[in-house]
Formats: sequence, structure tokens, C-alpha cells
Amino acid sequence: MTTADTRIDGPGFRVARQRNGRLVAIACIALALGFLAPHLIPSLLWMSLLTQAVVDMTLATSVGILYRQNGRISFGQAAFFGLGAYTFGVITVREFGSAELALVAALVVPTLIAFLLGLVIARIPGVAHAMLTLAVGQALYEIAFKWRALANGDDGMSVPLPDTIFGIDSDFFQSPATMLVFCWSLLVLTLFGLALMARSPFGQLTEVIRENDERARFIGYGTTLPRAIIYGVSAFIAAMAGILQTLYDGYISPQMLHWSASGMALIMAIVGGPKILWGPALGAFILFFFKDIAGDATEYWPALVGGTLIVVTLLLPEGFAGLILKLLARATGRADRGRS
Amino acid sequence: MTVALEGRGLSRAFGGFRALDGVDISVESGQIRGLIGPNGAGKSTLIDVLSGRAQNWSGQIFLDGEEITHLKIQDRRHRGLARSFQRTNIFPTVSIGMQLTVASRALGDSGLAEVVEALNLGPLLDHQAAKVSYGDQRRLDLALALVGRPRVLLLDEPAAGLTVEESLTLAGILRDLVRRWGTTVLIVEHDMEVIFSICDRITVLNLGKTLAEGGPDQVRRDPAVVSAYLGSQA
Amino acid sequence: MLIQVLNGVVYGGLLYLLAVGLVLIFGLREIVNFAHGALFMLGSYIGFSIAASYDFWLGLLGSLVAMTAIGICLDAAVLRPLRKHDHMVTVLVTFGILLVLEAFATAVWGKSYRSMTPPAIFSGTVDIAGQPFPVYRLFVIAVSLCVAAALTAWLRFSRIGLYVRASSVDPTTTAILGVDTDRLSLIVVGLGTGLAGLSGVVAAPLMALSPTMGNFILIESFIVVVVGGLGSFSGALVAALLIGQIHNFGAIYLPWASTMLPFLLMVGVLIWRPSGLAGKRT
Repeated sequence: MTTADTRIDGPGFRVARQRNGRLVAIACIALALGFLAPHLIPSLLWMSLLTQAVVDMTLATSVGILYRQNGRISFGQAAFFGLGAYTFGVITVREFGSAELALVAALVVPTLIAFLLGLVIARIPGVAHAMLTLAVGQALYEIAFKWRALANGDDGMSVPLPDTIFGIDSDFFQSPATMLVFCWSLLVLTLFGLALMARSPFGQLTEVIRENDERARFIGYGTTLPRAIIYGVSAFIAAMAGILQTLYDGYISPQMLHWSASGMALIMAIVGGPKILWGPALGAFILFFFKDIAGDATEYWPALVGGTLIVVTLLLPEGFAGLILKLLARATGRADRGRS
Repeated sequence: MTVALEGRGLSRAFGGFRALDGVDISVESGQIRGLIGPNGAGKSTLIDVLSGRAQNWSGQIFLDGEEITHLKIQDRRHRGLARSFQRTNIFPTVSIGMQLTVASRALGDSGLAEVVEALNLGPLLDHQAAKVSYGDQRRLDLALALVGRPRVLLLDEPAAGLTVEESLTLAGILRDLVRRWGTTVLIVEHDMEVIFSICDRITVLNLGKTLAEGGPDQVRRDPAVVSAYLGSQA
Repeated sequence: MLIQVLNGVVYGGLLYLLAVGLVLIFGLREIVNFAHGALFMLGSYIGFSIAASYDFWLGLLGSLVAMTAIGICLDAAVLRPLRKHDHMVTVLVTFGILLVLEAFATAVWGKSYRSMTPPAIFSGTVDIAGQPFPVYRLFVIAVSLCVAAALTAWLRFSRIGLYVRASSVDPTTTAILGVDTDRLSLIVVGLGTGLAGLSGVVAAPLMALSPTMGNFILIESFIVVVVGGLGSFSGALVAALLIGQIHNFGAIYLPWASTMLPFLLMVGVLIWRPSGLAGKRT
């Protein structure tokens, strides 16, 4: 009897602890790279581009986590991105409260709305779910587009920052060199946190629920609440990306909530490979630099993105991250064989 | 003997078709009860209703004398009512060890080691469920129902798709385990050999109604049963 | 009042033409086609180009034929090879096609808005209940009603129609019973896409042509399909007419909320009846 016990609990835990060690190491290296980046990247333009790319990577990560832990595809993720941006922008500009309050509210409000929404729509799978998220996203877009008193409707609104936020000089958020490090650090910490969550009992539970919702109930779990929590987490990350973008650009517009933005985020996640934690971020990074390569023909960037999506879905079912992992596995496999 | 599981006036209709038509069933504590009947008799529907999977049904269900009619699937499970599935119902891409660990986190790990050992899942704990053989998946399905030592176990054709030999082995393992635990069992099975070898008492359903109930020998000799069910096979 | 109802029917009819194409494709391939709005747009431009050099009717016919051919290619080249994949993957691929088609239209026709004039015999207005109503709008209503009637008859009385209905209910069993679902799918996707082209041309005189003209109407047709019940033809008709009215009366009585009403309706319906008004499947 005890042998079976140790098989389930013993070595498994040890492996987990080792992996956590590796995770911390990777996170530290990634953070260090971020702090070095401003010294390594010569041009301000590149830093600015990278900052924007990191914001996109964060948004794509939020789409990915919903797929990875919930098995759900959202066509309305930009809603939470934009909701974060708008909550922050509107509270700051209309002077409903301090910038600090706005920042907190901009994280809390989308998270809460997504959580409550999750309680209702978590059970609905597949295409109907995609349609619902699309509808919710477009409904919010319509509000932002039509309601001029809120934030100038379709013109959008500039969001001047106060001198300091949480005692930090506002220039910090608007200069590429510092904002890049800040956004990158947040992304690394987010991925680190998500990796820890995935390994926690809660993460394992959501994975089990994603695989088979009904059987999860038959082993004694309510499935709605865990799903709704993942919606909340996902929206929190999206809102964070939206706030970062608003801080950096000092501008909000309904386009942030539009379904084409949701679609782009989703494509980034799929191209990168949403089954792997860092896949969506990788996808966002790759597609962002496609835009730069497209250069003067930026008008056709969406076509490039669409084309990439078609090629990737047909040829790389696990996305670019899956490809990298496969190549790595092959390389290390060869190395192992060489050693023995 | 106390009654462990009781259903009163259980009915369920799909459109005009009455899959279950006022079935009363009462299973005594510690008993292994067989549930047989021709295809479409309502056996699986009865299991679905009792386990909380079915929707739009009527009647009342009691577990150890307490009414559980309106309880959700997971709440019934926590009260000690578990079930297995005719069509393997597992978590395909999750490792077998992790599925069992997650289940035992909710239900307690008493008996987990025993289940893993009895069903010989020990060597497979690190494997992804989708990648093991069909027979292994059937045993995993059963193990997921056995985690936490349920007091009442509903088994919907646990041997479906197994060879004669495999199903008799499985029946033996099951019988030993539930006898040791004193689990109450309601088992649907097409394989008559399995049913008559492990059941204390048998309920026969036909066209959504109880046709007969009694000990194995009594049921075997019941003319109504023979004509409705056994006759068609003989 | 009657005029308003008719305006609602015009829009509902256009929505129906698009939505029924989505339903046809969903029935066979179990995917929602995100490229459908872009196909509508493409059909519109093709009709526009032909009509500019020749006349409206040739444009209508040309667009119908061209789009049917494109639909057949779409099924053979994309949907069929992807049928074994997760349906969501295919949905994403159609999203990619949408982006490519929009860029294509931008390259060929440019970004600026174009407008198309209705044929001469439909210019002018008639008096309905004492108010003027454009003749062309009556034509739009007639087209959508004719398509609805023809499609219903085809589905109900032809052998292929029977197969399509059967396949929409249970594609696997239908395939097992010996129906060639791949050939069926060519016909159905071709027809659905052809209808998108048809509605594109019919709608062209009522709206401005632009590469993104299909987006808004696509989303509203999604709502129609979901509210009507995925895969339900009659549900789509009812939902399209309903949303047409909501769209129109919303614009008059609740202008600030008009564009949101269909979304709210959809969310409400899905929560109340996850499979839609007439649907059985989710």
C-alpha cells in the first residue's frame, strides 16, 4: 500500500520543487536581461517599438491563459484590455479620483466584471462561447464609441498623467528606456506567477476541468467557480496591458476595444502556441516584428498576419513555441545520445 | 439492514418516449445490486438520474435516508455517491497520477493506494491517460469512481468493451474491494456471467418500468424476465 | 410606422441572406465562417465593378457566379483539408482569410468609400400608407423573400436538401449512411458563399462600399445565427427578421443603445437557452 502512496506523492513533489528552482532561475535571468536592455539597445525607436511589443505580448498571454487553463477561446479579449485603459483614463481625466485610485480601479473593475461574466458563460463551450465573448466585447466597444461624454466617443481621448503616480515620476512611464524595463518585468513576473499557478493544486484542478468538465464534477468539484477565477485572472492581465499602453501612449480610443484587436490578440496567441505558457507572448513578439518588416506596406500587415495564421495552423499545430520545444528536444536528445 | 440508496417514482421522458416510467428502487447497505434489462430498458437513464447527470426528470432520491433529489453532481459525490461510465470518461491529456491526486484532494485519499494497487495502475501513474490501452482506461475510469471510498457506487457497464477474461478479472477485483469496504453497489452490465457471479440481488427493467426484482436464481427463473430479456439472448 | 417596419424587413432580409449562408456552412462543416463578411464585401465589389462597365443585372449575376466558384474553392482548398482538425482551428483560419481578403480588396479597389446606384427601373419611390418608400428597398425585400422560399423548398423537397438537413442534424451518421458529405459540402459552401455575394450586390446601393463593410453586418449575422440556434434554417429567418426590427426601432427610439440591443438579445437568449431559439445543439 505504502509503495503506491509514495509513487503518487513522493517523487512527484521532488520533481516539482526542482522545476520551481529552475523557474526562479529563468525568471531572474529574464529580469536581468530586461534591466540590461536599455544599455544594449542603441536606438530609442527600437526601445519604443519593443515596449509596444511587450504590451502586446502581455495581452496575448491573457488570451493564452484562458485557453490553457480553461480551454476557452475568447474573441473579446480586447474588451478587458480597453476596459482597463478606459477605467484608468476616464477616472484620471474626469477627475473622479486620483491617478493611484484610477490605477487600482482599472485592475479591479475588469477583473471583477470578467469573473462575474465567467460565472455565467463558463459552461458554454466552443463556437457559442466565441460568439458570446465577441458580443460582449462589441457591446463595450459600442459604448465607448457612442458615449461622447465618457471619453469623446470615437475620437478617443488623451490622458495626461499627473506629475507622479505612487510617488513615481510620470516620465518613468513615458520614456521608452524605463517603460520597457517596467513592462518587461511585469510580463516576466506575470508569466512566473502563471507558471506557479499552473503547478498549484488550483492550476491542476483547472486543467482537469478543461479536459473534462463533467467528470471533474463527478470527482467532487464544482467547475463554475474555478473557471470564473481563470476568467478573472485573464482579464486582470489584459487590463494590466491596457493600463500600460495608456500610461505609455497617454491616449485611449475605442479601437482598443474593437473585435479586430481581440482577433489580433487571439491570432498572436495561436501563432505562438497557447498550450505552452510563453507561446502567446512569443507569437505576439514574432507578429509585432512582422509589422516592422512589412515596413512601408503596413497597410497589408493584417494580410501578412492572416497568412501567417493560416500557414501556422496548417503546418505548426503547436505554434512557434511548440516548434522550438521540438527542436530543443531533438537537440538535447542528440546530445544525450552523443554522450552515451 | 438499512437502505443505502432509494429512488421513488423516478421518471424521465425524451419527447414522447418514456425512458424511465415511475421506477422505485431501494438498495440495502452493503448489497451488490445488479440492474439488467434489454437495450432501451432505461438502465443507463436510471444511473444518470441517480448520479445527478440527467436533467428534466421527476421523482425523489434518498441517500442513507437523506433526500438528495436536488443536489448537484459534485455534492452527491461528496455525500459518498460515485459512479463510473459506460463510455470511458476520463481526462485524456492529464497524467493518471495527477487525475487521481486531484480527485483525492477533493474526496480524501483514504483507500487511494488500495485502489491503485487493486486496479494495477501503479506502473501507469506517470502516463497520459489518452496514451494507455483501452483496458487501462477502463480501469482508470473505475479508479476515479473509487477514490475517497464512496459509500454507494453506481457502475454503468464497467466491463464494456473488455474481453470475457478481462471482464471476469475486473468483476473479481471489484467484488473483493467493495466487500472489504462494505460499499453498496448498483451495477448495470450486459455480461450475464458477471452479473450472476457478483450480485446479491437483481432488478430487471423493461421499457422504463421495473419488471422484476429478486435473488439471482429467482430472476433467472422468472418467466416474465425470460420472455422479455433472457429469452431474446438464448 | 409601416415604413419603419418595412425598413426593418429590408435589413432583416439582408441579414437573413448572410446568416443562412453561415447556417449552411455550419451545418456541414460545424464551423462559423469569419470570412463570410469579407466574402459579402468581395461580392459587393465584384458586382460594383461589373455594374460600372455593364449593368446592374449582369453585376448581380456575375457576382453570384464568381462567389459560388470562390465558395467551392474555399471548401475544397481549406475547409475539407481541415475537417479533421479542431473546429476552432478552422474558425481561426477563416479569420485569417478575412484579413487576407480585406487587404486584397484594399489593394484592388482602394480604401476610399465607393457607392453604387440602383438600376434605373428601381429608382424613385412609391407611396405606402401615405409616405414615400424607395422602390429599391421593396426589391431587396422581394429578393430575400424569394431566396427564403426557394431555399426552404429546396431543403424540403429535393434529395440534396434532405441530405443537407440530415447532415446539419448529425453529420457523422449521415456520412456513415453513405451520403458523400464532401460533395455535399462543395454544393453547400458554394451556395452559402454565392448568397453572400448576392446579398453583397443587393446591399451595395444601400450602403457605402469599403474593404471593411462586411464587419458590422458579419457580427450581426453571427448574432442572428446564434439567436436562431446554430444550424437552424427557420430559426435564422425568424432571428434575422427580429433583429432587423430591433435594429430599426432601436435606432429610432433608443439611438444611444441601438447598436447594443442585438448583443444584449444574444447574451439573453444564450443564457436563457444556450442552444438558441430553435437549436438543439450547442
